Parts: sequence; structure tokens; C-alpha cells
Amino acid sequence: MTVTETATTLGRRIEWQVAEVNEIVIETPRVKSLLLRVTGWQGHLPGQHVDIRLTAEDGYQAQRSYSIASPPENDLLILTVERVAGGEVSPYLVDELRAGDRFQLRGPVGGYFVWTVATRGPLYLIAGGSGIVPLMAMLRHRERRKLAVPTLLLYSSRSLEDVIYREELNVMAEHDPNLDVVHTLTRNQPAGWVGHRGRIDKEMLALTPPALANKPHIFVCGSTPFVEHVSNLLVELGHDALAIKTERFGPTGG
Amino acid sequence: MADDVSDLVLDGNAAAGCFQEIFAGDITIALIQCEGCGSTRPVGSLRLYAASMGAVLRCSQCNGVLMRAVNTPHARWLEMSGTRCLKL
Amino acid sequence: MNDDTPISRGFGSGRRAQTPKDRVPPGQYVTTDFPVLSAGPTPQIKFEDWTFALQRGGSLIGKWSWEEFEALPQTTIKTDIHCVTKWSKLDTVWRGVTFDDLLKAAGVGEPTAAYIMAHCDGGYTTNVPVADLVGGKGMVATRYDDLPILPAHGGPARLLVPHLYFWKSAKWVRRLRFMEHDERGFWERFGYHNYGDPWKEQRYDGD
Repeated sequence: MTVTETATTLGRRIEWQVAEVNEIVIETPRVKSLLLRVTGWQGHLPGQHVDIRLTAEDGYQAQRSYSIASPPENDLLILTVERVAGGEVSPYLVDELRAGDRFQLRGPVGGYFVWTVATRGPLYLIAGGSGIVPLMAMLRHRERRKLAVPTLLLYSSRSLEDVIYREELNVMAEHDPNLDVVHTLTRNQPAGWVGHRGRIDKEMLALTPPALANKPHIFVCGSTPFVEHVSNLLVELGHDALAIKTERFGPTGG
Repeated sequence: MADDVSDLVLDGNAAAGCFQEIFAGDITIALIQCEGCGSTRPVGSLRLYAASMGAVLRCSQCNGVLMRAVNTPHARWLEMSGTRCLKL
Repeated sequence: MNDDTPISRGFGSGRRAQTPKDRVPPGQYVTTDFPVLSAGPTPQIKFEDWTFALQRGGSLIGKWSWEEFEALPQTTIKTDIHCVTKWSKLDTVWRGVTFDDLLKAAGVGEPTAAYIMAHCDGGYTTNVPVADLVGGKGMVATRYDDLPILPAHGGPARLLVPHLYFWKSAKWVRRLRFMEHDERGFWERFGYHNYGDPWKEQRYDGD
């Protein structure tokens, strides 16, 4: 990977900055996007994440990592957060946070799970649930730079209402003959559903267009069990293990 | 809740912030060679354990501990006895 | 934290309001979950291969197969557990063999060494003073909530020393080695407190 934009990621000691919530967007019943203004933000690469830190009035602090959903071309920084039942931080971010609120943020971090147009393609993205977030940063970057790289997104969600960025992905795919977006719904499917059903399996993964046959760059993101399951299948299908980059979100995937 | 410890495993990439406090730069794209078996991989691709207590990075071939990083209020700790070399 | 640290309006107030102060050490919050944390992959151990031993110097002063271990006197306790990552879980029920009963079974009267190091499948270690294990304070547990401890939670057997931070309750324990002088285990030699009293908030080396 050529890292021509590494000035923003390498060789700099990262510090805690202040993020202010500019706007909150509802994506699905469990998911919201936070549009943030971060003073002094120096840019990021698609796929990177940030660490955020919340401080309560008595000084108690909690820290979590969230993938950046916005492309580097965006003015505001976008984090997309899924509410994890019983979690300490995500219910606060999804249910409590309002425009004007502030918290600490550190980053961008993680130069490994990154794709930019400089890397070129073909590009094979596989997302489970909220694992779509860093891959969406890559897709939005690809769209803004108008790079016609053959790209396939295979996206697994529980049900249609849980598909994050559904409309935006529809529009992206409609306007771009080089982009395919394929969905599978694992728990329930609406009447007349023509997409896949059930967990991602070898057959679904093998259904790639001819343009993706030649050594695609592969990015897999979602819960740890999802990522391990998909990675193993990709290797069984003959993909080079070293061409598969993974980002495991832990047990809950969000 | 995780059914298995393997559910909790993350990638070296997830500890980027923790490592960056120590290395003053992003080491997730650095190559790391295991002292135990000699295999070489990018840090970001390796399995990361115990992320909430520190970062325990293990070799994907022999499972040996390559590196550990812990940030406490008093100090930053880094242990690399399982690393033969790190190429930044 | 300094004067510039932004306060997150409304963060954490609900959860910590429910905390019974006398049962929950400072800085902890109560969870009904049972979070799993490990420094390595879950060892897959077959009961027929499992043994547990007490070691002093170069020799094993007690060694039990799974059947023999299950035949030792069993004790059930209900206790609270506190993890250094800030969660606490109240009223957890465990069953196993107390350290006192292990010493009796091995024919050891008064233990002469002051410390033990727990050695576990997967290579994890942790050190505990013997004084913190005798008198019913420590056990090797094989059941949680009346069921065999799940591998993710340390099964077949884990050390249980609930009055110290839970990293001392070593999962997948196989051997307790007596030590004349204290030595630090996996986390203790790497940033974490050597003793780990949650009521004194002894999380890190230097606390």
C-alpha cells in the first residue's frame, strides 16, 4: 500500500482533543450517527478509528473506540454508534447525547485497516452489522474521488430495518456501474425479498463479479465471531490470507 | 456476553491508540517478527487479547506473546521480550 | 483530568446511583453481566488429561486427577467479585475445594512458605500470599452457579480469591507453587499492583 498521506497518521504523538456534537442523525432504531466538530482535526484515512473518552461529573471516566464513518473529504467528523444493550457508553451516546455536548476524542488511529484510492482495486468489502462503519468511510471516499474501482460490498444485517446507510448505499450503487451492493438478512426478510437470507456462507462469498477475480483487496469488519467465520471461508475459497484485512469489534460487534 | 474468549479477540489495529501513546506514531503497519517461531506480520493483523487491562499481542503462528502494553496513571509499560525485531 | 476536560453531561449518573456503597469498592460499578477477559485463547482441556498439584521446591506435595479432585471435600460460597476494569458482580455462587482442604488432603500442617504462585494452562501466572488463601479465603473452584465453570470463565477449574481484584482468581489453574519470597506474576510485573485490594483501590503498581 502506498501511504502518500501518512503525514496525518504516522510519526505524530496523538493527544486528546475536544469534539463537539454538531448534529445527530438517526440511522436505524438502534443506530445513530454523530456529526462532530473537532478543533484542530488534522485529517484521517478511510478505515481509521478514534478513541473517545467520557468524563462524568464526579471524575469517573470511560473510554471506547469507534470507527470513523466519514471520508477524509468531509468537513465534519462522523461516528456511527450502535446501542449495545446493557453497555456503559453506547446507550449514553445513542440516547443521551445532544447537539452542543462535548467529549474527548483521540486520533485518528490505526493505519493498518485503511484503504485509499491510492491503493486502487479491485475492492471486496464484507460487513457484519455495525462493521459497515469503517467500510462506509472507504466507500464514501471512493465516491468523492470518483474512482471507478471495481467494488463489491457484501453486507449482513439482522433485518431490513437494521441496515445502516440503506438509502445512501442504494443510491451509490444505482449511480455507479462499478459498485455492487449485496445484502443478506439473517433473522427476518420482508415479503418479496430477493436478496440473500441467513448467515454469510461460502456460496455467497464466492458470488463475485469477474472484475473482482484478480487478487482483490479484502476488508472484513464486524463482531469477532463474524470476522473469524468469514475470514476462514475466504481462505477456503482460495484467497490469500495476507490479502485479507480484518477489524474485529469484539463479541457484540458494536 | 461473549460465549468464548475467542469472541473477545480483537486485532492489533484496535490497540493503535494505546501503542501510539508509547511509540509516538502508528505501529499497526509496522512488521513484527516473533522471537519464538520467526514468523513476521504487520502488527495490525495480529490477535489482540485483554484489551481492557492492557494490550497483549500474540503471534498468529505459535500464539506466543509478542508484545504487551499497559497504560496506568503512573506509567506506561511496554514489554517486548517475545519480539525478535520490529520494523517501522 | 484537568480543568479543561469537558464533562459529559448526564454520563454515568443512572448506573452509579444504584450502587450499594458498602458492598461495592470505590471506582467500581455493578453489572449483571459476567464479562470475560483473557490474556490468551481459551485452553481446551480434557478432563482425563487434567491434574491439579501443590508444589514446594522441586517436588509435588499433592497431585490429583479430576476424579480425585472431585472427591475432595466441597465447599459452596456466595460472594462478590471485583474486576480491576471496574465492574463488580454481587452474590456470585461458587463451589470447589478450599485451600485449607487442599493442604489437609496433601498432609501439610502449617504451610511454611508465605506465598504461592498460581500456574495455569496457557501460561498465565499470579502471586497470592498464603495468608490470603487460608481460613476459607481462597479456593479452587469448579462450579459457578451450580454448573461446571465454562471454559471462557476458567473451567475446568480456577483459583478463587474474591477479596482481591479478580485477576488474582486465576483461570485454568493447574498448580500452586509455594514460594519463600514473593515473586510477581503476569500482570503484577507489568504495571498492576502486587497485592490488589479493591477496598484500597490497589489497581496499579504505584497506587
